[in-house]
Amino acid sequence: MWFFRSPSVVFGEDALSFLNTLDFRKIAIITDENIKKAGLLDMLRKDLPEESESMVVSDIPEEPTLSDIKERVAAVREFAPDLVIGLGGGSSMDAAKSIFTLYERPDLDIYDITPMVKLNLRNKSRLILIPTTSGTGSECTWAAVLSDEDHTRKNELASPEIIADYAILDPALVRKLPGGISRNTAVDAITHAVEARSNQWRNYYSDIFAEKAMELITRSLPVVLKDPDNLAAREEVHVGASMAGTAFSNSQIGLAHAMGHSLGAHFRIPHGITVALYLPQVVEFSETEAKDSYHALMMKMPEKYRKGNLADSLREFFRDVGQPLNIKDCNIDESEYRENMESLISLAEESTGGVTNPREASSSQLKILFENVI
Amino acid sequence: MPKFPTQEWASEYVEKLNSNPAYKDAGKNWEGDITFVIRKDDSFDSDAYLYLDLHHGECRGFKFSMDSSVVPESEFKYVGKYSNWMRLINKEIDPIQGILTGKFKLEGSMMKIMKFTKAAKEMVSTASTVNLE
Ligand SMILES: [Fe+2]
Repeated sequence: MWFFRSPSVVFGEDALSFLNTLDFRKIAIITDENIKKAGLLDMLRKDLPEESESMVVSDIPEEPTLSDIKERVAAVREFAPDLVIGLGGGSSMDAAKSIFTLYERPDLDIYDITPMVKLNLRNKSRLILIPTTSGTGSECTWAAVLSDEDHTRKNELASPEIIADYAILDPALVRKLPGGISRNTAVDAITHAVEARSNQWRNYYSDIFAEKAMELITRSLPVVLKDPDNLAAREEVHVGASMAGTAFSNSQIGLAHAMGHSLGAHFRIPHGITVALYLPQVVEFSETEAKDSYHALMMKMPEKYRKGNLADSLREFFRDVGQPLNIKDCNIDESEYRENMESLISLAEESTGGVTNPREASSSQLKILFENVI
Repeated sequence: MPKFPTQEWASEYVEKLNSNPAYKDAGKNWEGDITFVIRKDDSFDSDAYLYLDLHHGECRGFKFSMDSSVVPESEFKYVGKYSNWMRLINKEIDPIQGILTGKFKLEGSMMKIMKFTKAAKEMVSTASTVNLE
């Protein structure tokens, strides 16, 4: 027995205007300062139902902690919305999921948000998530990540009940996304697709979403990087990233995420760069256990990137789009990296991604994988 | 060859767990005891309890009984009916997916155990190496 879970998805040009067909009256918008500065909050507000009132929490920090959430939920409670909207990247959307949950259930300890607990949400409101980057896939997943107060560890809150009611994928929101962020977030999505497709938890549904995501992103990301205003290509990457989110949410992430999370806890590097850095290594390591999955994914890439196996094809693709393949190109100091080796390994071992990876790595194999990107 | 669940099965299981280097490594930071609770069903007519005292990658002691009152209270309980335990041991059910699909229930902090999923998986793999009658 297993499940397929997904929000209802509204996508394509003008998707935001779907909002003004809804009947909500009091809307809380959870976002961050950069989104506001980029004018995306104003874009959203134009499409809210005419008779509705709204409040905005616009100071969600990157990698929010539990206390960041608790500080902000009080104002939301006072406003008493019937709709919570998360607008932004992974941090804002995960914050919106957490705020929505604590608004619905003030009695709940946030660490009770596990799949085993019946939360009984949606007595007061609904949740809509609107991504402004094309990568995390959080708008389609049933998890929210909150950092520990000292930012060394991340806690995953997971429940099918925190899946959004709607995910809205409007390419206009990513039109002005700078090249660097477009790339860093898209390679995260590629990693989601590869790990979901090959994972021990893979299934009929996740396979299909992962393969289509791989096709859309590897075809259109290079176009986006050369021609940022190409809205059709933007849309393919945006929808692809969301499909990759659906894929891993219904399967699992793998070892590249376990290693990438660990690297991200030690060095302040964007998430997408960390996971994609290890992806070709992990694919090479897992090849014997995931031949068919990897072949299927490679065949979804444009022909010019295909190099006989998925690991080399990914390297070719990453080189083309400028994703680093070693720590030097990530501006990580080699001796500092080596000094942290033991703790890099042990933190990676704590992550569930390693356990459901097609091939499990021992501590000594992990060490080799970490060293291979020096 | 011992039957599951019996005293003989439990003692062979603990012996194998303690000689599994992958478990020792994955559980090296774990502190906490757990009880496997086997609920009776059509194919097995009594509840059974296996208490395991786990510490830093080692099982320091265990207690098997059909009587819950003689088994120590533990921080975690992993509860499922007999037929699902058999499927788990035969690797037809993944221990974490087992929880997510309601075939098993975990009592205790899910947050804590999610950081030790590798150890949990090794505990199940070890169970599948105990020969059954
Ligand atoms: Fe990711």
